[in-house]
Amino acid sequence: MDLKNELQKIVGAGNVLDSPEILEEYSTDNGIYPPGMPTVVVKAGKSEDVAKVINLANKNSTPVIPVSSGVHFQGCTIPYQGGIVLDLSNLNKILEIDPPNRRVRIEPGVTWGQITDELAKENIRVISPLLPHADRSVITDYLEREAPVVPKYEFAEPLMTYEIVWPNGEVFRTGSASVPGYPDSPAKGTNPAGPGLDFYRLPQGAQGTMGVINWANLKLEYLPKINKIFFMPFEDINAAIEPIYKIPRVHIGQEFFLLNHVDLALILAKQWPDDYDRLSDILPSWTLILTISGPPRRPEERIEYEKEALFDLKKQYFQDMPILEALPGVPGGGRELIHMLRKPWPKEEVYWKNRLSGACQSLFFIARPEDAPSFYEKVVDEAPKYGYPLEDLGVYLQPIEQSRVCHLEFNMFYDPDDPIEREKIRIMNRELAQDLLDMGAIFTRPYGDLADMVYEKATSYTTALKRVKKMFDPNNIMNPGRLCF
Amino acid sequence: MPEEYVKFDLTDMKNFEYDMKRCVRCKGCKWVDHIYMPGATYSTRCPSEKRYLFDSFSAWGRLRLALSLLNGRIEFNDRFVEAIYKCQLCGACDAGCKRNLDLEIGSALESLRIKCVADGFGPMPEHKAIAEKIEKEHNVFGGPADNRDKWAKGIQTDDKAEFVYFVGCYGSYKMQGIPKATANILKATGQSFKIMGSDEYCCGYPLYSTGQIEKAKKAAQHNIDTIAKSGAKTVITACAECYKTLKVDYPKMFNKSTSDMGYQVIHLVEFVADQMEKGTIKFKNNIDMRVTYHDACNLARMSEPWVYWEGKRKLYGITEPTAPRRKGTHGVYHQPRNILKAIPGIDYVDMIRIRENAWCCGAGGGVAEAFPEFAQWSAEERLEEVDEVGAAALITACPRCKDNFSKAINASGDNIKVMDIAEMINEAIK
Amino acid sequence: MGIPQEAYKAMEDIVGSQYITDDQVIAQAYVGRLGHGKDTGIDLEMNVPPAVIVLPRTTKEVQGILKIAHRYKINYVPASSFWISHCAPKRPNSIVLDLKRMNDLEIDEENMCAICGPGVIFSQLQEEAIKRGMYTTTPGGGSQVSVVANHINWGLSPLNYRNGVPGRRVLGGEWVLPDGELLRIGSMSTSDDPFWGEGPGPDLRGLLRGWIGWFGAMGVVTKLAVKLLPFHDEGLKPVGISPHTTLQFPEKKRIRWYNFVMPTRESLVECMYDIGKAEIAAALTKVPQQWRYIAKAGCREDFWEGWNTNEARKSINNIHICRVMLVGYASEEQLEYEERVLMDIMDSYGAKLGRTRQSDNSWIKNADSATMWMMTGAYTSVQVTVDTVDCGVKGGEGLAREKPAFTPPLMDDYGEPGWFQVSEIGHMGYIEFLQYWDPNPNQENLYKKDEWNYIKVPTLDAEWGMFNAFNMYASPMNLTGKAYGPECRKWFEKVKAEFDPDKISNDPIPWDVDEYVDKVDWVNKEDYINRDWSKG
Ligand SMILES: Cc1cc2nc3c(=O)[nH]c(=O)nc-3n(C[C@H](O)[C@H](O)[C@H](O)COP(=O)(O)OP(=O)(O)OC[C@H]3O[C@@H](n4cnc5c(N)ncnc54)[C@H](O)[C@@H]3O)c2cc1C
Ligand code: SF4
Ligand code: SF4
Repeated sequence: MDLKNELQKIVGAGNVLDSPEILEEYSTDNGIYPPGMPTVVVKAGKSEDVAKVINLANKNSTPVIPVSSGVHFQGCTIPYQGGIVLDLSNLNKILEIDPPNRRVRIEPGVTWGQITDELAKENIRVISPLLPHADRSVITDYLEREAPVVPKYEFAEPLMTYEIVWPNGEVFRTGSASVPGYPDSPAKGTNPAGPGLDFYRLPQGAQGTMGVINWANLKLEYLPKINKIFFMPFEDINAAIEPIYKIPRVHIGQEFFLLNHVDLALILAKQWPDDYDRLSDILPSWTLILTISGPPRRPEERIEYEKEALFDLKKQYFQDMPILEALPGVPGGGRELIHMLRKPWPKEEVYWKNRLSGACQSLFFIARPEDAPSFYEKVVDEAPKYGYPLEDLGVYLQPIEQSRVCHLEFNMFYDPDDPIEREKIRIMNRELAQDLLDMGAIFTRPYGDLADMVYEKATSYTTALKRVKKMFDPNNIMNPGRLCF
Repeated sequence: MPEEYVKFDLTDMKNFEYDMKRCVRCKGCKWVDHIYMPGATYSTRCPSEKRYLFDSFSAWGRLRLALSLLNGRIEFNDRFVEAIYKCQLCGACDAGCKRNLDLEIGSALESLRIKCVADGFGPMPEHKAIAEKIEKEHNVFGGPADNRDKWAKGIQTDDKAEFVYFVGCYGSYKMQGIPKATANILKATGQSFKIMGSDEYCCGYPLYSTGQIEKAKKAAQHNIDTIAKSGAKTVITACAECYKTLKVDYPKMFNKSTSDMGYQVIHLVEFVADQMEKGTIKFKNNIDMRVTYHDACNLARMSEPWVYWEGKRKLYGITEPTAPRRKGTHGVYHQPRNILKAIPGIDYVDMIRIRENAWCCGAGGGVAEAFPEFAQWSAEERLEEVDEVGAAALITACPRCKDNFSKAINASGDNIKVMDIAEMINEAIK
Repeated sequence: MGIPQEAYKAMEDIVGSQYITDDQVIAQAYVGRLGHGKDTGIDLEMNVPPAVIVLPRTTKEVQGILKIAHRYKINYVPASSFWISHCAPKRPNSIVLDLKRMNDLEIDEENMCAICGPGVIFSQLQEEAIKRGMYTTTPGGGSQVSVVANHINWGLSPLNYRNGVPGRRVLGGEWVLPDGELLRIGSMSTSDDPFWGEGPGPDLRGLLRGWIGWFGAMGVVTKLAVKLLPFHDEGLKPVGISPHTTLQFPEKKRIRWYNFVMPTRESLVECMYDIGKAEIAAALTKVPQQWRYIAKAGCREDFWEGWNTNEARKSINNIHICRVMLVGYASEEQLEYEERVLMDIMDSYGAKLGRTRQSDNSWIKNADSATMWMMTGAYTSVQVTVDTVDCGVKGGEGLAREKPAFTPPLMDDYGEPGWFQVSEIGHMGYIEFLQYWDPNPNQENLYKKDEWNYIKVPTLDAEWGMFNAFNMYASPMNLTGKAYGPECRKWFEKVKAEFDPDKISNDPIPWDVDEYVDKVDWVNKEDYINRDWSKG
């Protein structure tokens, strides 16, 4: 029996798609990488289908590329070796909302657009990355270790436990969800660790190479009702570093990050392109943004002492730094950001990163905040050599875990329909990455072209990783060609 | 658990088998009390373990060796004996252990030495040599017994005094400045005293601490008898070793309690502190110096009175009657500090490891005799600490400590000044 | 000599003769009887002296030793601070790697981490951290414990309420795999800087530990960066003389303990949820009654005098103490704010604020875990589980109901449901269920404490659906390893087969309990081996 028939038996004929148009659709993403055709697309209708598909793929040594989100930017779902695209977008149930234990259990197809409103009804939220695309899967964003926009938690990992189908077809539950009888058990799956090993870490940053998640538990936090936002403008990135270190360390604030004028203008512009043009002109080169919010109990008092602590810091360490409650020249002072930050980017609008030229290549890595200026200078030095206009360079610095490190992101905008520009960006992305890697940038998520250079450098890690991968995926069926596999 | 009958009798190691078995290897005996932990350096208090590293050179390791010996898993051999004696018996382990548990670590270690000697494997040859000197001339140096009170020429003593000043071998033969200063201080306060002259034998510390209990008992008995004969009720000493030996080890050797001895032992610093309170001593001279104080193990954590106990150990290890525990809480800690702080001009600074957490000078337990290099190493570590706190002088309350530090300073050419507290007080009241 | 002469010689060449010994007297100092697991069946019957003890100084030396062990197929046991029975050799002719000389400590203030060798212990690190306005999580298990060993194996404490569960506190480092090959994890995979934990792609910290770690069965971690967390900057002052030493809180209101007496156990649990939800506090824990009595006692006999009373017996169901620590990380105003919120919550449950000393002697810098042996001479924890707060409480209560059948030999604790505390600002609850007994071998039915420990508790936990993955290392793999995951034991086998096929890294861990219970007559293994756990 051929693969298609077998797959149809598992998911039903309507869910096995191989028309050229559909295959074409799944052959590309919104990024810089060239297309690759899948053999077939399978839409899983229930989580039990996943293991069956993977078992079948193992039997036939067919690649499987799991896809949960409706939109992709980094090329990791492009099936370069053909095979089955396992589309999980229909697995989009919110399985449990458990406010007392502050957890939500969801399927991989659940998107930011879907979950945010649902949780808001109960005044709760999953902390999100910065303005995620509404169609991105919540689970895969955190599987891929997007940085949460709130660095106040010492443990920046909203993902707790999950059920995974390992590449060898075995179904497994991680952490405290591993108890017999889950979910009808006293253990609810709030502890990510174990059983035995921290299995939950292995599929992270794996770009689908380490198995398929059937559902996951994520942490919930309260949705603040009362908020204040502060803007700290800088002309020189160096001046922003000390506040970046100092502010989150006193346990104040919620959302906290630094944007350059390009990224901030992209986010704040209402009328395209006029607002953007104006804003990118008038906005300070860098803006550090901090929200302070009141929890359900005594919210005003909380805001009061946090605010006081912020101004105390200013007095002690950075007296010259203005702390503004509104951005001058920006309609509404930019205060609507508070509300924007608690939601994904509105679906009806072009995604903020795509506004400028239609597409965006993000080059990001983990760094010490103190090193951010030198990484920035390097990019500023190099970008013009590729003909890239510096006035179009977006920069985003996201402190992680009270700024013990940061996620540093350079956004390079390009016209996706211009193959030459696209290729130029691809080369620039690759070569800049190499330079930054040499300077000590930590690429924990090496997408596309970056994989080879990073794994070549990570000699011992690469060797060990390959051994681990072989244990879990003896036939190398899961998204082959990624990372170092 | 069937009840067992146990005694604080150190000649039978089985009395401490419970303590050996119940050691959990928490290393409270190694580290400075965690509350006081100063950071990455100066963090331990057992010289032996720090110097020799293998666990057999720690309290917990020695307890395991002792247990294995009791159970017949090992026998004494050279390595074993060496492991037993490369230890200052400084009592840091005992105080550390008793912070959390009711275990008799110090006694177990002493008992192991006693067994080692009884079985014919200990002590080290150097200890035997000293024992011979003590036997012959009643002092550790082998100097003529008659010279013992040579230092006191011209010093007024009073045969009817309540106080007998027990001078010790180091004061009598090697560091006579200390007894001279002591006599001066006593005189200045109007305290009459007598000395035992050639009837003062070595206190026996070098014998007892190396496991030679029978020989130690002879020395002890002689001194006890002499004190009794003298009619004195108070023995004053300026030597921490003599202090602890007379106060703690004598009763221990004879299965008695300190309170049964018929005399009270005080150290010069206790006396002076008392006089300060009474206002009978005045520090007149300004001494411009930044100084620090070294807690001699025997005056500090090991100096609490000994209480003999025998009784039952029942289920859960409960003792009946309740066994007394000497935790090192009531060592002579404050008096020397108060004295130094009261001397005009002195800028007093404590070292990092103090009181029950102090690092031994390195000389004790027969180490200075058998392993002089180890004793020096230990002193050097302490001197580094003196440097660390920026003190110009190190004040001790034990001639043995002073001697050992002085040797280390001579060897290293360090410019730290070492003084006995008696000498310092004497300077201040002159 | 137990191991080939050439192997010994080769190791001696690496570390130098003063740092290696095969002396069998010295070896007796390394025969188990220590820390967690002391006086249990495995400790008493499986632990043997090592053939060789070696004290390496550097990662390179450790690599060299492991390569030799690998070449000659010699079992080895790494040990940093020896506070758990797993670091005593269970195979004849083993090498013990005593890592105490690897005590380098470097603090990265800007990026809030400490780069530690395995010889560095918690109180050392905590002092260095506090000096710089930061802190680490001293585990309840003791301040004398190796920071590295604890971070890769265990790591529980009420301070996890703010600081996060231990696996998250592990950053980059150097890990010598069982065959001696070096694996650089986290940011060290591509740089020399260990400041971040994730490596490129799949995170191999997942292989390093789980709810607990490998306990030496997967090579040796020779250097590890661990997180430090921001603290207040007023410092803490040590006061008192042993044994009454404590850290005094500063006058300024930057850190405070509060002891509340709650009307019922239910209200205790509910207030814990509320405190978590309000996002206040720095530690939140319930104190077992025995510990209160121990804290008050000057010695064991004092304890028993207090404990052998009706008052103590009744206290289990009548006295529910919730201990809360507040820290003004930002300012005194923060603490004052949190205090107001705390009082709101506690008032709503009718809680009474008891007298509370404003000092700390058991969580921040010192942890007196040795006192666990004070009461009876033997102790172990059988259940250490983390999921929701509610789940923790249920687990403790369930075990308390079952324990009487094993009492004696276990000490009668009057139905104490254990120690529970809250982690990650209320997202998780932690329960530790404690047993004490008299280890004297002449006691009747002493084996029952092992039956309770190794078999009964893990079986109940699996049946109830409690997450007791701690027992992965204190129960048969054939039981817990089958039930959880399910079949997580297979992954242990696969990982071992891949990285340590000759099983030379601390064998038979983690299969020691299986091996032990194979030999005893009080276990019916069929009961659990053939059981279908998928039914719960
Ligand atoms: C009474 C008691 C209470 C406890 N309570 C707690 C608690 O509340 N919270 C908590 O976190 N822990 C607790 N523990 C556990 C204790 O803290 C752990 O044993 C400890 O963290 C690990 O340190 P260790 O001294 O046991 O390390 P070690 O004895 O050195 O080693 C532990 C294990 O790890 C292996 N190992 C050691 N070093 C390395 C290394 N560098 N690389 C690879 N493997 C290594 C050893 O082989 C051994 O199996 C408790 C223990 C006791 C005895
Ligand atoms: S402190 Fe006591 S119990 Fe702890 S290891 Fe030392 S001797 Fe053993
Ligand atoms: S007496 Fe001193 S040197 Fe000897 S083991 Fe104890 S602490 Fe170490």
